[in-house]
Amino acid sequence: MTKVLAIIRREFIERIRTRSFLVGTFLVPLLMGVFAYLPQALARRETGARRLVVLDGTTGGEGARIAAALAAARRGEAADAPARFLVERLEARGRMESLQDSVVRLIGLRDGPAGTPDGLLVLTDEAITTGTVTYLGSNVTSIRDMRALDQVLEPAVRRERLQRYGASPAIMEAAALPLKVNAAKVTEGRLTGQSAEASFWLAYAVNLLMYITLLLYGMQVMAAVLEEKTNRIVEILVSSVTPFQLLLGKVIGVGAVGLVQLAIWGVAGFYVTAALGGGRPAGVEQMAADGGRQSLAIPPISPDLVVVILIFFLLGFFLYSSLYAAVGAMCSTQQEAQQTNAPVTMIIALGMIAMFALINEPAGTLARTLSLIPLFTPMVVPVRYAIAPLSFLELGAAVLAMLAGIGGVIWIAARIYRVGILSYGKRPSPRELWRWVRQA
Amino acid sequence: MSSPVVLLDRITKRYSGHTAVRALSLDVPSGVIFGLLGPNGAGKTTTIRILLDILAPDEGTVTLFGSRAGGRAHAARIGYLPEERGLYPKMRVLDQLAFLGETKGLSRWEARRRARQWLERLGLGDWMQRKVQDLSKGMQQKVQFAGALQHGPELVVLDEPFSGLDPVNSRMMREIVVGFAREGGTVLFSTHIMEHAEQMCDRVAIIARGEKLVDGSLSQVKREFGHRHVTLSFTRNAAAAQPILARPTLVARAQDYGATAEVQLAPAVEPEELLRALVAADVGLSRFEVVEPSLQSIFVARVGVEAEHPPQEVA
Repeated sequence: MTKVLAIIRREFIERIRTRSFLVGTFLVPLLMGVFAYLPQALARRETGARRLVVLDGTTGGEGARIAAALAAARRGEAADAPARFLVERLEARGRMESLQDSVVRLIGLRDGPAGTPDGLLVLTDEAITTGTVTYLGSNVTSIRDMRALDQVLEPAVRRERLQRYGASPAIMEAAALPLKVNAAKVTEGRLTGQSAEASFWLAYAVNLLMYITLLLYGMQVMAAVLEEKTNRIVEILVSSVTPFQLLLGKVIGVGAVGLVQLAIWGVAGFYVTAALGGGRPAGVEQMAADGGRQSLAIPPISPDLVVVILIFFLLGFFLYSSLYAAVGAMCSTQQEAQQTNAPVTMIIALGMIAMFALINEPAGTLARTLSLIPLFTPMVVPVRYAIAPLSFLELGAAVLAMLAGIGGVIWIAARIYRVGILSYGKRPSPRELWRWVRQA
Repeated sequence: MSSPVVLLDRITKRYSGHTAVRALSLDVPSGVIFGLLGPNGAGKTTTIRILLDILAPDEGTVTLFGSRAGGRAHAARIGYLPEERGLYPKMRVLDQLAFLGETKGLSRWEARRRARQWLERLGLGDWMQRKVQDLSKGMQQKVQFAGALQHGPELVVLDEPFSGLDPVNSRMMREIVVGFAREGGTVLFSTHIMEHAEQMCDRVAIIARGEKLVDGSLSQVKREFGHRHVTLSFTRNAAAAQPILARPTLVARAQDYGATAEVQLAPAVEPEELLRALVAADVGLSRFEVVEPSLQSIFVARVGVEAEHPPQEVA
């Protein structure tokens, strides 16, 4: 046991001493902060007013009213906020095509005179009837610009259409009201205060976290095994400790580093989300009400979810790092290992993709089945838990399945490892691998 | 004689398609330097790995220090330097040695103390806190040697220990190994460099194709396989010696170097018969010496015979 401790200690100390550990540990939260903050900041960042030319081919004054509605749109809530669009209306008077051509020629000119238009909105009687409006602009790729244009145009065009049928202003007002669904998550008969969007983001974040950490630390174990093999120190080591002890020490050592790193990231993540205000449900609702601005809203994380994440990270880590260790032992070079680990990495990726099925039906048959397949359990259970907490019975069954799976996988991996660490040259075929496993 | 430190009893190891070691028996008494000699691919490394419990034999038993518990159970009493050896390049030298000591069962504190001691002894005191990758190759080899010896083993097993060393380091390491043996330690080392074996070994075993060909003390081996060797120096008419040296009734094997030749007599041929034949052919000689054969020549003779009559492969 003291020998295993020595291996664990070496693995741990040598790892946290490296520059890549320091960079990874402190840069990742920083990037996390940047990625969480940047979309919000970018979304909030307002550009100047867009210059719009409205080419008015309508015959009943609809074009003028719609242009006025556009001109009245403000950037922000305040009454004195600056205008969103600077609108210039051109009456077509039968010269629709020639006017359109000459305006289009001006759009997007970089060195054009002041007042060069950003876009041209073509309004005709037919467009009002069919609801298909043509917009030609240099900013059509800007999701925000298009949404803003939409938000003004849609009710305005609808109002004009209703007016044609003689609807009263009250009816038009009522018809223009948009639909908004206030969805909130209910867990075990209790209202959690989380919005639907927040639940999705939480499950997504948990899923991503499991995926990244399993992959990251699994690969580290693989690299460590390969390093010992290529350094040729492994033969000295296995003359003193059993391959199983070596494998165990390595996995626990790397796992301990992973936990430390996760803890640092967790604390940093908490402060980042708290600082950004994303941690409070009010913040999430605010964002949901904010016209659907895209931002990474990190919802509140309950302590029991943290415990579930940690337990399944550890179990998953043992399972996958043993597999990765076996892969490392099979190969002789880094390139070989990169190719050989694909099947293992693919299984983890499958578990990640399964999330999208789980979100629709977190307690369905598929979700329950996947929770009991050890290779998928570590990704599936935390995600399900993030959406809706699982019963103790189900958690217990998942843990038991994992333990059985770990036992089996380690048994096989240790056997491959034992032979592999001393085999150089050609990568073994599946048949050879099977012989390694069967060998006494 | 005391009970053997290492006793291999008819060990066999098969790999897919070939037998690496075949019914090999060896005993290494306490306090000797034992040379395991053989050409490349003879099965030396496999034998050593089996003896250390790194590989399991398909047949046969290994007894170490009178117990069948296996090499790893005696890790604290054994030092091992594999043929393909290395260190963690990014680890500090002192930490590296101390870690190796810990895997041998030393306490952390004791491992560091001994590592320090050995690094001072090998002149690497100033390098303790440097990373292994900063060391020259020779320095790294010294660290590896220290790793095999620092925990005070009773038996050290060295697989091709001197290959790849420069002459200065090679001598230094040999002195360390001999010093270890003088203090009562047992050394088993494999090599294909016969001069090293001849200089250092008390006992040798020659193996080829996984089988033992020769085994015994150095003097025993020389006596058993010697006496039939003659060294010649020609002064004149060396060409006339050629047909005589090629006569199978007289000569089993001859190494003609031009001005000199090393001859192995055919069985039951006395040296005088060769001398008479050479004189009769009017070959001028400045030297006709019946010599104890070098280990090199025994090795070449035995391994060569083996190569000419390969044993039946077991399917």
